[in-house]
Amino acid sequence: MSRFVDACRKEWNRLGVPEPVANEMAADLAADLAEAEAEGAAPENVLGNGVFDARSFAASWATARGVVPREHRTGMQRRWRAAMAVASGAVSFVAGVVGLAILGHGQQGSMAAVAFSKPTRVPLLGPRSVPINPQLPGRLLLFHGGAVAALGVILLGVGLVGLGFTLWLWKPWTTWRRRGGFDESVGLPSYL
Amino acid sequence: MGRAPGGTGPATSEHLRRKVVATIMCGMVVMGGRRTQLLRGVLDLCLLAVMGEGPAYGYEMTKRLAARGLSIVGEGSIYPLLGRLERDGLVDTYRAGSNGGPPRKYYSLSEKGKRALASGVAEWRETRDAVDTVLGLVTVEVTS
Repeated sequence: MSRFVDACRKEWNRLGVPEPVANEMAADLAADLAEAEAEGAAPENVLGNGVFDARSFAASWATARGVVPREHRTGMQRRWRAAMAVASGAVSFVAGVVGLAILGHGQQGSMAAVAFSKPTRVPLLGPRSVPINPQLPGRLLLFHGGAVAALGVILLGVGLVGLGFTLWLWKPWTTWRRRGGFDESVGLPSYL
Repeated sequence: MGRAPGGTGPATSEHLRRKVVATIMCGMVVMGGRRTQLLRGVLDLCLLAVMGEGPAYGYEMTKRLAARGLSIVGEGSIYPLLGRLERDGLVDTYRAGSNGGPPRKYYSLSEKGKRALASGVAEWRETRDAVDTVLGLVTVEVTS
């Protein structure tokens, strides 16, 4: 039955169960199975119908104990979280770098411009809006002096906040299941 | 059922055989499912009850249940249930050696577990009596 225990351990590893907890569960299971075998009892005496599906058995046990990280509830959630973290990281990086660049150049009195395809206003920064082409509806927002610095600070802030958000998405320890939040999605009903 | 009574002999016989097999299998599934459902509602109480006799590790509890005629073979494992009892604070646990064997995780009733067992047993007795009132006197003649 060591193959059964190995399969359970593999499943706990996949689910992100902390290693000490997985080791403890595996040791208890192996000891019980060995004792049953020594007494001539079938593994079903220990595992019930869980003997036929090690993965489901392992998942339901870990879930019932509350040692499965929340983001492992479904593969879809895990993938969505990873995709969000990558996207957030990329946007934060670009915003931060552009913000730093603007701040670096803004101190030398340069000018920043942002083009819009439709007429628009950015009253907070006080840019000057000029038409790109008198024949076309597009406008060009020109940022001078302090407005350029403000734009840089905002972009840098967006980058830092985005970085924090990315770390939060990536950080597995924020998602440990809390007591009382029994996760029905992993545990199969046939294992109580 | 959908076939005409005067159908061809072998085809009708095969149809009947399949119907009988399907009926028997359906009955087995329903009966097995009912036992599982009934156990599911009270197995936690049974575990708490055998723990009340003294601390025990997983397989030891299975043996205590079996000694009272409650086999889990064909049913779910007790491990997830023990995990849930532990998570809910109904049991206390500690590790200790067992007859020279490897250290085992022993489960014992916590105070909260004792209260849960007392109220659960009262609930079970009330339910059992009510069901007995309905089913206890039933006599059904089954014709094959």
